[in-house]
Amino acid sequence: MFEHEGLLKEFQWVTKESEKKHIGESIAKTSLDMQEISFALIQGDNESVDKLTKENLDKGISANEILDNGLLNGMSIVGVKFRDNIIFVPEVLISARAMKAGMVHLEPILSASGIEPLGTILMGTVKGDLHDIGKNLCIMMLRGAGFTVHDLGVDTSPEDFEDAFGEHEPDIIGMSALLTTTMPNMGRTIQHFEDVGLREEVRLMVGGAPVTQEFADEMGADAYGESAVDAVDRAKEQVALLKDLKS
Amino acid sequence: MTKDNSISKNKKNLEKSLNRIYEIYKDISFNADEISKYRCPYKNAKSQCTANFQCRNQYFENDKQIEPICIGSDKLNYRSAWHVDQPIKND
Repeated sequence: MFEHEGLLKEFQWVTKESEKKHIGESIAKTSLDMQEISFALIQGDNESVDKLTKENLDKGISANEILDNGLLNGMSIVGVKFRDNIIFVPEVLISARAMKAGMVHLEPILSASGIEPLGTILMGTVKGDLHDIGKNLCIMMLRGAGFTVHDLGVDTSPEDFEDAFGEHEPDIIGMSALLTTTMPNMGRTIQHFEDVGLREEVRLMVGGAPVTQEFADEMGADAYGESAVDAVDRAKEQVALLKDLKS
Repeated sequence: MTKDNSISKNKKNLEKSLNRIYEIYKDISFNADEISKYRCPYKNAKSQCTANFQCRNQYFENDKQIEPICIGSDKLNYRSAWHVDQPIKND
């Protein structure tokens, strides 16, 4: 049964019968602690998700239970609310950030179970460009697919990418741009990696509304992600390729 | 159940859960692409602008307001109003 009043209110947004049954049954069998996690995630309250996840792990609740009964139930409702235009991209991204706050505590357990990250990716919007929503959606997708992603934010210079490369030793660097005027900075970053002798150490991916496969090829990028979902597939390919090249 | 079987079952369950997260995110991503064709993705559910750059559609009712209201029409192309090289926030 629903013990958490706030979660029950959120559940009212789920109106399709099949979803009501599926999500409702899934939540009803969970404890109040798990319902609190679900609610905090829907609210985008990353501090509470962080705290509650840690507390429940310390109490001996399994990672699988927290993932299924807490985080996933919450994200299912977020997905429904987004599809039905109750919330929009900014709210979804805030909930995704809360999901990450919980996942940070689960990652060591995943790793101990033999589930390793698919690879490490640095993501940033290039120098001179402040748009970030496409990048943030891409990061959400890549993390959801199992990559470790470090977000360098916006207005990222070639030197910033290089410094972060030194710090995180990623498999891939993903660059995003929205403007045709800032797109060339992707090429400049690629050139910078050539100049400092790191080009062969990392795969360079590009994406963003004005970017095309032709432009990516012209700049010498290794891959182009047409959408956030496509970026995940390309990233998987690039990680495999890099392993081959390095072996 | 042996320890090895238990670990293997645990791994399978965790993988199943991670796949579910990915499926939810995939749906969200497809929906985001669709919705962004007519509604600015920086506009939240309260019609506030969450962008960290200037846009002609941002309206500040008073000086203390942190999040401007988006006054853009969802029927128009919102992208031409963006000035994505001009920050409005320090962080």
